Amino acid sequence: MPTGDGNLLREAIRTTLALRAGRLPDADTTAEATAATWRLVTVQLAPVIGARGLDLLFSRALQQTSAAFPWLAVAVDRGGSASPLPSLMVCLAGQHTSTAAEASYTLLLTFTELLAKLIGESLTTRLLAPVWAPPSLSSGQESAL
Amino acid sequence: MSDKVTIRRLATGVPGLDAILGGGLPEFSFNLIVGPPGSGKTTLAHQIMFALATKERPALFFTVLGEPPLKMLRYQQQFSFFDPAKVTESIRFVNLSDEVSTGNFDEVLARVTKEVEAFSPGLVFVDSFRSVMLEATHQPQGTLSLQQFTQQLGIHLSSWQATTFLVGEYRSDSDPHPIFTVADGLLSLDQIVHRNSMVRQMQVLKMRGQATRPGMQTFRISSAGIEVFPTALVRDDTGGTKEPAGSRRTKARVAMGVPGLDDMLGGGLPSGYSMLVAGPSGSGKTILATAFLAEGVRRGEPGVIVAFEQTPSQSRTRTIDDMVRAGQVGLINTRSLDLSIDEIVQNLVSVIHRMKATRVVIDSLSGFELAVAPTFREDFRESLFRMVAVLSGLGVTVVMTSELEDRYTDLRFSPYGSAFLTDAIVVERYIEIESRLKRVLAVVKVRGSAHSNELRQFEITDAGIIIGDPVRDYEGLLSGRATQAPTVNAVKSAKLR
Repeated sequence: MPTGDGNLLREAIRTTLALRAGRLPDADTTAEATAATWRLVTVQLAPVIGARGLDLLFSRALQQTSAAFPWLAVAVDRGGSASPLPSLMVCLAGQHTSTAAEASYTLLLTFTELLAKLIGESLTTRLLAPVWAPPSLSSGQESAL
Repeated sequence: MSDKVTIRRLATGVPGLDAILGGGLPEFSFNLIVGPPGSGKTTLAHQIMFALATKERPALFFTVLGEPPLKMLRYQQQFSFFDPAKVTESIRFVNLSDEVSTGNFDEVLARVTKEVEAFSPGLVFVDSFRSVMLEATHQPQGTLSLQQFTQQLGIHLSSWQATTFLVGEYRSDSDPHPIFTVADGLLSLDQIVHRNSMVRQMQVLKMRGQATRPGMQTFRISSAGIEVFPTALVRDDTGGTKEPAGSRRTKARVAMGVPGLDDMLGGGLPSGYSMLVAGPSGSGKTILATAFLAEGVRRGEPGVIVAFEQTPSQSRTRTIDDMVRAGQVGLINTRSLDLSIDEIVQNLVSVIHRMKATRVVIDSLSGFELAVAPTFREDFRESLFRMVAVLSGLGVTVVMTSELEDRYTDLRFSPYGSAFLTDAIVVERYIEIESRLKRVLAVVKVRGSAHSNELRQFEITDAGIIIGDPVRDYEGLLSGRATQAPTVNAVKSAKLR
């Protein structure tokens, strides 16, 4: 899924999260969908930029997203070198489904845009392509929905 | 049929590099790229990788702590060779910082091996070696030592069916690292700063199984990446070479475009000769060289001019500008002060080939010397010799101008001792006659040919150089103190007395 086009990227992130959260999403499944997507991001990016580099970028995206979703600050403030993902999941699970979904979407979008600013949209698109749900699958699911 | 193994040589995609490597990079060789920070090691590795990586011959690029991978990817993308479409498809980046930071080299080696086995790359890069060495200080006991690790890595890299590169800062002439012995190829990069000029140089210290170009080779890094300017090869005239210097010379003579000068040269300048036009400022050297090119254009013989003037629009004649605009003459004008002679020669040779030029003007050697980076000035004469030899090998006829301070105590032709390099010399001088500054020229030398020995007055007019009569009735012209020579009648009457 290309990220070069901002709208396509937004759609890809929304569709991916919606698909992974299931037909009847709640805050827990949304948190789980977020974690599953982040794990895929890690699989794709950690070998390239290193686990530590990825965590730092993730933390930066989390910090930026917490401006719109202040309750995410708990996950940001963890500090140390541990991954902020478990803490993020706890934060998401404690929110309304729609709020959690919106925060998760914004976080992924912010992260992708940060990465694109650093290494360019083209390379970001290529590296993250396997993270997003395949277009055929997402359109099939959408019609089924 | 031969049972001997045939080593394929890979074209590196770095302009000029294959030539200094001796024909490309041997397939499955294990190479070291070493040099100080900022010398272009990672850029060279990336450029080679992007040129060579294909789906059939994928590349694995291991990054270690040295340069954060995000930054490396960010900056390397600025080069035109960086093709994002190849990333993930035929190029895979793998960061080893987590393994290296533990200081456990067994883990690093295991990870490298695992990735290589999984990806089956045709090309493997490990960047950088230096970072691995720095981490050696944190190494737990009972694991591989750094030396064992580098040797193991070297052996692993050599044993895979892959062309491999270890990039690093390590370089010590006094205590070469054991890895240098294992490596098949060793490329050393450096940058030399002299006052305000910086020159990048590369040396192939080792490349098993092939004859590399010896010595330091200059290179540049531009938005297109690295371009190497191999030292111009001077072909041997004594046999063994396919194209000895001057082999393309013919007995034909080249018209100079200055009426009367051809006669003075014994019928024109022999084709393939190089001529030095020496004289003080304003004596008409550039005008003579321009006439030489214009005559070529008139006869359908394209030319090239290498100009080293600070203000080309003022100092270059309109004729040259017109010919350049019309595409009849190629122009290489450079005001850069950090050039290597090899870079200029390479540029010149490529323009000569493109224009199918037979006439070349270098205006002037004085400007040339200024344009060359200070690092190379010590070798200017030697480099000039190489350049003349290369041009001679191409069979082009060359006119070089040389600014010469008027000295009336000795007769000199060039401050570089370049007179012996050239086949012909024309010298221009100012003389004073009846309180007027006049110009004279003389043909000093035309190798293997009879020529005039007269000192001829000449004028510069709108139509160019007009050569007049020999300067008679005066002597001591070159001493700057011309005196009227006694007339025949005066001599006779003196004898009678």
